[in-house]
Amino acid sequence: MKRYALRQVVQLAVVIVGISMLAFAILHVIGDPVTLLLPQNAGKEEYERYNKLLGLDKPIYVQYWKFASRAVQGDFGKSWYADTPAFKLVLERMPPTLYLTTAGLVTALLIALPLGILAALKQHSFVDNLCTMAAVAGQAMPIFWLGIMLIIIFAVQLRLLPASGYGTWQHFLMPAFTLGAFLAPITMRLVRSGVIEIMNMEYIKTARAKGLAERLVVIKHAFRNACIPVITVLGLQFGQLLGGAVITETVFAWPGVATLTVDAIRNQDFPVVQCAVVLLALIIVAVNFLVDMIVGLIDPRIRVGA
Amino acid sequence: MRRSLATGLLVILALALALVPPAGAQTREETLIYSLQSDVDNWDPPNSVLREAIILGYHVYDHLAVRDLKTRRVGPNLATSWTNIDDTTWEVKLRQGVKFHDGTPFTSRDVKATFDRVLDPTKKMTARGNHAKIKAVDTIDDHTVRFRTDGPYPLFVERLTAQVMQSDKVIREKGHEWMQENPVGTGPYKLVKWNRKQEHQLVRNDDYWGPKPAFKHLRIRIIPEKATEIAELLSGGVDIIKAVPPDQMDVINKSGQARTGTSPILRTAMLQLDQAARSGPNPFTDRRVRQAANLAVDNDAIIKFVLNGLGDRVAAGVNPMAFGWDPGLKPYKQDLAQAKKLLAEAGYPNGVDVLFNEGPPIVEPAIQQTNDAIIADMTKAGFRVKRNYIGDNTVLVARIKDGKAGSMFNWSWGYYSVFDADAILFDVFKCGENYSYYCNPALDDLIIHGRSTLDQKKRTEVYVKAQKLLFDDAAYLYKWGLRGVWGISNRIEYQAPADEVDRMFLVTPKKK
Repeated sequence: MKRYALRQVVQLAVVIVGISMLAFAILHVIGDPVTLLLPQNAGKEEYERYNKLLGLDKPIYVQYWKFASRAVQGDFGKSWYADTPAFKLVLERMPPTLYLTTAGLVTALLIALPLGILAALKQHSFVDNLCTMAAVAGQAMPIFWLGIMLIIIFAVQLRLLPASGYGTWQHFLMPAFTLGAFLAPITMRLVRSGVIEIMNMEYIKTARAKGLAERLVVIKHAFRNACIPVITVLGLQFGQLLGGAVITETVFAWPGVATLTVDAIRNQDFPVVQCAVVLLALIIVAVNFLVDMIVGLIDPRIRVGA
Repeated sequence: MRRSLATGLLVILALALALVPPAGAQTREETLIYSLQSDVDNWDPPNSVLREAIILGYHVYDHLAVRDLKTRRVGPNLATSWTNIDDTTWEVKLRQGVKFHDGTPFTSRDVKATFDRVLDPTKKMTARGNHAKIKAVDTIDDHTVRFRTDGPYPLFVERLTAQVMQSDKVIREKGHEWMQENPVGTGPYKLVKWNRKQEHQLVRNDDYWGPKPAFKHLRIRIIPEKATEIAELLSGGVDIIKAVPPDQMDVINKSGQARTGTSPILRTAMLQLDQAARSGPNPFTDRRVRQAANLAVDNDAIIKFVLNGLGDRVAAGVNPMAFGWDPGLKPYKQDLAQAKKLLAEAGYPNGVDVLFNEGPPIVEPAIQQTNDAIIADMTKAGFRVKRNYIGDNTVLVARIKDGKAGSMFNWSWGYYSVFDADAILFDVFKCGENYSYYCNPALDDLIIHGRSTLDQKKRTEVYVKAQKLLFDDAAYLYKWGLRGVWGISNRIEYQAPADEVDRMFLVTPKKK
């Protein structure tokens, strides 16, 4: 397990360097940053001055080194738009997004696990068909629409929940459900097919032959094995979840980092974009590292195979 | 597994509870909630170009002069009177007994410090352009200042409404950086807390020199999505929203929770035609083609049926609320036969191809629907319009500034909230200006004449002539002055403002 973990860490480092290079490249791919920053009627002298000021007259590897060594210290420069350090802006907005995605993930699991297992155990029954239908409906429903519908029902009609905003546990319910409903269908289908496949395995027959209660067979033997693909996919889906968070945050006026990033892209506020890309990528990498570790713990074959 | 799930849930719940703000003494009853679709970039109004910054500025700061929303005339505020001593000197008397939120009294030194800071070219303040005609500010005594201007400056008093008074002490001791997030004004509310892109919390300034606001607490929430904003209004979460789309007015009015209020606003919409050929040769360089376009479109019907009546025709770009507007000039009426005849005379008997760059629905309500109607009318007269949709307003603005906006494009002008014909003629019609696609030396003479005299009668005559010229020459395809639509909770009384500046300190609870 130690060697396996070490190997993962080395891979991680390579990924992080790659991400930092990509983030650095954003600025240069999009066009000449000096032209973007300066007013239209700026002269050549002013251009040269800015070019030098931004260090853009230096060779590209020197520029990258400067960017990377500063980024490590959390210095991504000042936002071109808000007159505040980009790192501070992004960090401020990180917790709401993390709470939201975690809550969305938990909601998705709360929906997907019981329904997936139920559908697998009652394969081709009425219940199974119902679950499949729910999954298709869930997958087809745009986040945006679901969010607005929830607001209309629970805030405008029933007056049970605040329509939008951030701050109390009531504010969490609708956004978490909206985001969870986006992730639940695919997870549920995975749980279902995983459990079905495993229920036909020889060791399940063995477990039953030993006289184990069906409940224990499912929970102890089938479920643990069915978890492996589910956990892997959840890790991979985490990036998708952040994508879903953009829309969820917009609909519910949730002050998260996802909307900040989209706004920054729209405003061509590169320090903020770079900072957000690097930090979000780090989170995704960390989540996937965790997933690999968990899967390694559950499934000895992976540890050994690595 | 079940246990770990339960643990996970508990963690989430704990996190959520940790976020609950401490219970304050603030009740919904004494709190007014206003919402905006996007936040300000800072709390230093002269350092921002955003409309939101102007609105927030009115709540924490005061201006030397303000507009009376009923008469639409500019009247005293922190200044009690003003006179021009000669053509280039204005003397302003200041109100006594006014205090900043930090307790410092307001004096002529603050006025001087405010303008010195804005006019300092090294500070690069965005408001500098508004006051570039001011050469210097002199303090005469504690409550008298003199402004020296670069030539006669007829818009002096109008522009006083566009500058908040900041504190000399704060500018000196705290400095620019600090001022970006910490406003110290003399205004009716004080800022308590700003959560960027989320909410501003304000509390009433109980030492305010003027009429005190009815609501003790003011919360300004940032809600980017219009549907959510409307839902908040209908569920009682928010009291006032602005820029309601015309097709949502019924929903609000039938809810029993809220109603809509409308007001004409100082913003003129038009299709600019590239008369000056800034983006290359095109059919609109011919006056007959521009006239044909104006004659082709039935704007009255579009206002009535597409905009639910939310527009006021303009004959030549100048808004009916602006000083210098000519009520005698009647707008173009649809005449398809005449339009076709003019096109044929211009050498296009079989119709003409034109490119139309369309803007996104950010500023103008129902822009797509009205564009559809306008193009349908133009097609009847023989225009073959190729439509090109530009979804990002900043891209459209950049293209317009660069002279790459094409032969015809969507544009509307908000006059920087200066109720004067000059505020549109100079920027949108004068040769060589950023947003102008029209060039006519005869008009330029009139514009320059109008801004270099203090005699308002003479100025009116000049602007009447200018509008006649613009009408006859059909500079652009003239549309209408916009009307704003607000959503207002039934628990309050509120009058929609013509200058697009919402003033929450004027809101009162509805009498029961």
